[in-house]
Amino acid sequence: MSTQHSDEETPVSSDGDPLRLRLWDRIRFARQSYTERMPQIESIAYVFISPFFLLFGLFLAFPIVYTVYLSFFEYQSVSSDSLFWIDIGPIFIDVPQIAELQFVGFGNYAHMAGDSLFWQSMFNTTYILLIQVPIMIGLALALAIALNASFVRFKGFFRTAIAIPVSANIVAYSTVFLLLFNEQFGFINYLLSSVGVEPIAWLRDEFWARKTIIAAVTWRWTGYNMIILLAGLQNIPQQLYEAAEIDGASRWEKFRYVTLPQLKPVLLFVVVLSTIGTFKLFAEPYVITDGGPTNATITIVQYIYREAFQNWNLGYASALTVVFVAIVSVISIIQIKIGGDD
Amino acid sequence: MARITLTDLTKVYDPDGEAVVAVEDCNLTVDDGEFLVLVGPSGCGKSTTLRCIAGLEDITEGRLEFGDTDVTTYSASERDVAMVFQNYALYPHMTVRQNIGFGLKLSSKLSSSEINDQVESVAEMLGISELLGDKPKELSGGQQQRVALGRAIVRKPEVFLMDEPLSNLDAKLRSDMRTELQELQQNLDVTTVYVTHDQTEAMAMGDRIAVMDKGILQQVGPPEEVYRQPVNEFVADFIGSPSINLLSADVDGSTLLGPGGFKYDLGNASPVEGHDRVRVGIRPEDIRLVDGGPNRAEVTVVEPMGNENFCYMELEHIEMTARISPTQRPTAGEEVAFAFDEAALYLFDAETGDALKTKTDESPDNIHTEVST
Repeated sequence: MSTQHSDEETPVSSDGDPLRLRLWDRIRFARQSYTERMPQIESIAYVFISPFFLLFGLFLAFPIVYTVYLSFFEYQSVSSDSLFWIDIGPIFIDVPQIAELQFVGFGNYAHMAGDSLFWQSMFNTTYILLIQVPIMIGLALALAIALNASFVRFKGFFRTAIAIPVSANIVAYSTVFLLLFNEQFGFINYLLSSVGVEPIAWLRDEFWARKTIIAAVTWRWTGYNMIILLAGLQNIPQQLYEAAEIDGASRWEKFRYVTLPQLKPVLLFVVVLSTIGTFKLFAEPYVITDGGPTNATITIVQYIYREAFQNWNLGYASALTVVFVAIVSVISIIQIKIGGDD
Repeated sequence: MARITLTDLTKVYDPDGEAVVAVEDCNLTVDDGEFLVLVGPSGCGKSTTLRCIAGLEDITEGRLEFGDTDVTTYSASERDVAMVFQNYALYPHMTVRQNIGFGLKLSSKLSSSEINDQVESVAEMLGISELLGDKPKELSGGQQQRVALGRAIVRKPEVFLMDEPLSNLDAKLRSDMRTELQELQQNLDVTTVYVTHDQTEAMAMGDRIAVMDKGILQQVGPPEEVYRQPVNEFVADFIGSPSINLLSADVDGSTLLGPGGFKYDLGNASPVEGHDRVRVGIRPEDIRLVDGGPNRAEVTVVEPMGNENFCYMELEHIEMTARISPTQRPTAGEEVAFAFDEAALYLFDAETGDALKTKTDESPDNIHTEVST
């Protein structure tokens, strides 16, 4: 090629500052040479991943297995007797029994059938669940759609404001609800009386106590679910709406035939998560109603807590836990089976 | 079926804020049953024009008529148009059958079995009968394209709108579908507006093509007319592949003097009268390599196409392309002399780009005959 390229200068980095670049190069070269000199140990990878398995085994796997184990026993007392020991000459490992237990077989499970408080707590939990989850998801969906609409302004502000309750400390916000719904001095009754409504015995009346719990849980979690649904809405390609519009779809038909089916996986996720979340409701009834009045708001987890740490029926509480987990799993599986065909 | 009339159509995005003018004063008539291709570089406003016709964008100013009906303020669902999108926009959760039948289900009073019959006959016409039970994600790009077409056809719309429908297909499939689309449009005889950035597609498919640039409609006409008689330098440059060779030249009486010793004596100097400087355009197929002459350029690359060779040359710093016979193979670095006929020459105003002279060589009747080199 005889073409003359007179402008063949060395390119100068747009960052300028060659000194700084040279320093970074130095560091990079040093790092590369260290990597090359590093000894190669075959099974070093296992060492790196072992912390997870140790922690998982100790704090997750073991308690789960031990809970199942405990559910076949009746707890007597704390014990320091040996469970088993390993004697290999110089090393002697003694693993103590955690508790003194009496084997009862399926006795704990059998006891559940006739335990009226267990059935009461199951009923309360289901009652709260069936009302709270649909209301919350309906509300979250409506808010998400509203915030997704192109004409709404200050979206960022509303999004944050609605989602912020999820960051509230459970005990703290429950206490606020306790005060708000106080029969004599509460703000809610004050508001009602100012418009001429008789004060309501929020926490003493069976019906209203459950509604108070539902209100509290809904207040805290609606924004959280709204954020998830909003993300789902924003993932729906705009062109599908345009195609539907050209196909002659009305606003409602676009929602029915594009939004809902496209949102289904996200909606399913939210439903399953909310169901599990509400099913294991504990702190709100514990703080606001303490399960009352006359056990009208005691939830299954609260009952397990009482049995385990107030009555020290660890074996029975474990059996309750196993049943609880089984029920939650079955419900979730059913929801996923019904809701998720893809 | 209907005639589409755009009168002073203007689309401004965000008129209260930054006010981006996407389409300005567009006047265009698409005749009943005509296949009109809107073509231009990206951002030229062609898609926006189409979306205004579809009703997916509000028209800021001007009027849009289908036949004698003013549809300017109609919503998309009221306009009875069908549209094929670039990425097809099939409903992922519906089967092919549901996708095609969806429009009929929403906007017609047909019974389910009637809808089903129509869906099946359209599917048969497009050769996708065996796919009716599948979901879009199980289909190949070409099959999805057919479903998108089926969804548009089954509605028997007044107007057919296509937004770069072939650009997601591979080259082979694209040219197959091009022919198929044309046949389909001829059989259905529906007024069609087709948007593409690909000038080859525009030339091959359009009854007429409309060239847009920077929101302004530059020229509308049959492909040959746009190719041979472009109204300005932009149209001349955009239409034709490889692109037209363009260079600036000073006018000295009837002589054009360009870079790298370029010199051309005009037989008829009337087009350049009153101009000191013009832009000169020569189509690659009009350039001949000759044994000697005043105009010389250096060959950079020769691309053999089989039936012809593309010869890339440099005239000073100006890239030039010549389509030459496959028997001619100059080597890179070689200096060659080139020539062309005055009849094949385009001249444009150096400032405005307006055409001063366009091709006058062959009559449109024998345009397809080979040019001997």
